[in-house]
Amino acid sequence: MQSEHIFKQYDAELEAVRAKVLEMGSLVEQQIVDALESLVTSNPRLSESVIKRDHLVNALEVQIDEDCSHIIARRQPTAGDLRMILMMIKTITDLERIGDEAAKVARFAQKTFETDRMWTPRFAEIKAMANLAREMLHMSLDAFARSDATKVLAIAQMDEQVDDQYQMTIRHLITFMLEDPRAISMSLEVLFVSKAIERIGDHAKNISEYVVYMVKGKDVRHISMEEMEQEASRP
Amino acid sequence: MNPQPQANTLKNLDEVRAMIKRHKLNDYIFSIIGLLCLMVGLLTLLTLFIDLILSGYPKLLSASFYTDFPSRRADSAGLLSALVGSSLVMLVTFFSAVPMGVMAAIYLEEYAPKNWFSDLIEINVSNLAAVPSIIYGLLALGLFVYILDFGQSILTAGLTLGLLILPVVIVATREAIRSIPIAIREAAYAVGATKWQVVYDHVIKYSFGGILTGVIIGMARAIGETAPIITIGALTFIAFLPPSPITTAAPFLNFEWLSSGFTVLPIQMFSWLSRPSEAFHVNAAAAGVVIILVTLLMNGFAIRMRYKMRKNIKW
Amino acid sequence: MMTTTTPVKAEARNLSFFYNGGNHALKGVNMPLYENKITALIGPSGCGKSTFLRCFNRMHDLYPGNKYEGQIVMHPDNTNILEKSVDPIEVRMRISMVFQKPNPFPKSIYENVAYGLRVRGENNKRMLDDKVEEALKGAALWNEVKDRQQDLAFNLSGGQQQRLCIARALATDPEIMLFDEPTSALDPIATANIEELMSELKNKLTILVVTHNMQQAARVSDYTAYMYLGELMEYGDTDTIFTRPTRKETEDYITGKFG
Repeated sequence: MQSEHIFKQYDAELEAVRAKVLEMGSLVEQQIVDALESLVTSNPRLSESVIKRDHLVNALEVQIDEDCSHIIARRQPTAGDLRMILMMIKTITDLERIGDEAAKVARFAQKTFETDRMWTPRFAEIKAMANLAREMLHMSLDAFARSDATKVLAIAQMDEQVDDQYQMTIRHLITFMLEDPRAISMSLEVLFVSKAIERIGDHAKNISEYVVYMVKGKDVRHISMEEMEQEASRP
Repeated sequence: MNPQPQANTLKNLDEVRAMIKRHKLNDYIFSIIGLLCLMVGLLTLLTLFIDLILSGYPKLLSASFYTDFPSRRADSAGLLSALVGSSLVMLVTFFSAVPMGVMAAIYLEEYAPKNWFSDLIEINVSNLAAVPSIIYGLLALGLFVYILDFGQSILTAGLTLGLLILPVVIVATREAIRSIPIAIREAAYAVGATKWQVVYDHVIKYSFGGILTGVIIGMARAIGETAPIITIGALTFIAFLPPSPITTAAPFLNFEWLSSGFTVLPIQMFSWLSRPSEAFHVNAAAAGVVIILVTLLMNGFAIRMRYKMRKNIKW
Repeated sequence: MMTTTTPVKAEARNLSFFYNGGNHALKGVNMPLYENKITALIGPSGCGKSTFLRCFNRMHDLYPGNKYEGQIVMHPDNTNILEKSVDPIEVRMRISMVFQKPNPFPKSIYENVAYGLRVRGENNKRMLDDKVEEALKGAALWNEVKDRQQDLAFNLSGGQQQRLCIARALATDPEIMLFDEPTSALDPIATANIEELMSELKNKLTILVVTHNMQQAARVSDYTAYMYLGELMEYGDTDTIFTRPTRKETEDYITGKFG
């Protein structure tokens, strides 16, 4: 995918869409960071701005979708180009979902400020999990930017960690609720946030799988870790 | 102003218009010169033709000129034997030159392997067309008259003229064959046709108009040929007709006329012209007009045939 | 990715071809043609795809000095159609061809279609009538010309002429039909008609098509071969070639990055 098309305009169009996807990716990444930050630091202004910026993410999705359909209609992309277009169309769906999750967390943060209950420390527990999910997204986008199919395995492993942590958090919360019924409503809220973070991890993993399809033409979705390991080790 | 020299891309519309006008002047000048060149040739021929008509018209209009034999007296001398002679000679020419020429051309185009030998033949065929006709006369005298002993007959004359136009027929036929697109040939081969099927079903049929044109133009040339006919010794004064080719008794065809003595139009004209009497010159002029008209008619027919044949064939 | 169950109709084995003058136009091509499938040959101009196609009906034999090496084996009879002892006419009776530009004979529509049969010595009027009708129907032209079969073929439109040429090639029940850029002289609608026709025809016979139009190869073919400089670079089922070709050269050519 290094060499150029004879039709230079085609290169420019593909590059423009790719840049937009990366832009959307970094915007979404920032949204996650800000949403969690606002939650942990009880910063209502920050959560407000996350909610406001969600429409930017949505707008980018619509725009990229349109650009991709234009390229399909006018250039009839094949092979690597076709796979890249398909990959981008799917990626932006996942990015948009991640954006929604971030906004959800931010909206949830706002609600907690209004009720003004003092249980902020609980969120420190899910911060590690959130960092992991954010790192996954970052790596997936990086793999896309570099057309690097080798990251998929590492990201899949990170996803398993996120899932484990999610399970752990649930168990924690259940014990909590059993111990003290007054903590139930708070615990449900924490559960809510950690579910959103777990979803973000899943979406990030999807993106890394699309990158493999784009680069190698292999579909690595819905296969076991062992199979994926085999695929990843293949040249 | 920009001091750098600029390419001559004019921006000013008035300048552009003036330039176009200047360039168009060249068109105009050339068309005038071309027309003049054309006129020199055409007008000369036309003058000649009109002059012939003017000096020969008393004879041209009298029916007896076409039905009388030559005579010692200018006013009762006619063209009959020359007309019949020319027609019969042409008949022999046609049947000797056309099949031979067409087949030779088809062989050269379709069958002959391409090597130095076929190249040599090709060069020779084109060269033969340029050999002076008197050489053919000498050849015929030696071959047909003395060796094959055909005598100074219609057969000899017909074969001689046949040889003379053979290269013309070959070249014209080859041109006609070559004008058939390769795609048509390949289409025929692709359904499994043999070479002969391609030649017979397609090549000959589609090139027929072109071949016919070549043949008629060759014949028109042959009808006016004098030199080879004189060389083989055509008579200049014939007061009889050759035996008729068609008879009333079976088998209705008769080939005695082939060995008959004869005269032809150009020779009759030449013989009248060489008389001192002014009255015979009128006859000669009239005979000249007849030759030109026959040639024109044949060429006209050729053009018409070609047009008709080409109408159904578009590549 | 190639299904092994699809029977092979013909197979080029180490096929090389030299034009008169020594131009080495094909270099050891190995390629099977699968029965009742459409195989498309793509590649830049001068890559040898037309040369390859024209080996299949020995069209090169029409011009002196051309030389084949290797084999093209027809199945199921295992005949090597490039063998000297095999008459090219026999080959052309089994494998028919449709050309780049519509090239009907300057004859009537009827005679164009009947010609292949006449060449085989068929002169029975009823038999010819039936066969002509069948071929014209097979070429999706019957409804348009059934009332004017004696009209000159040149009075048809370009697309109709090309379908007439397909009918002509079809009338003799060939086993394989070769298409040499069949739509390069046609407008998009006529092109679509021909493409539709090709995918109908593959139920009856095996098709090999050379095309300059990559999208056409993608649309009509089951298998695609990419040729470059007389070599077969990549051959596989069309879906694979157009979504994930293995070779970089193929990828560059089909995505328009060639050169």
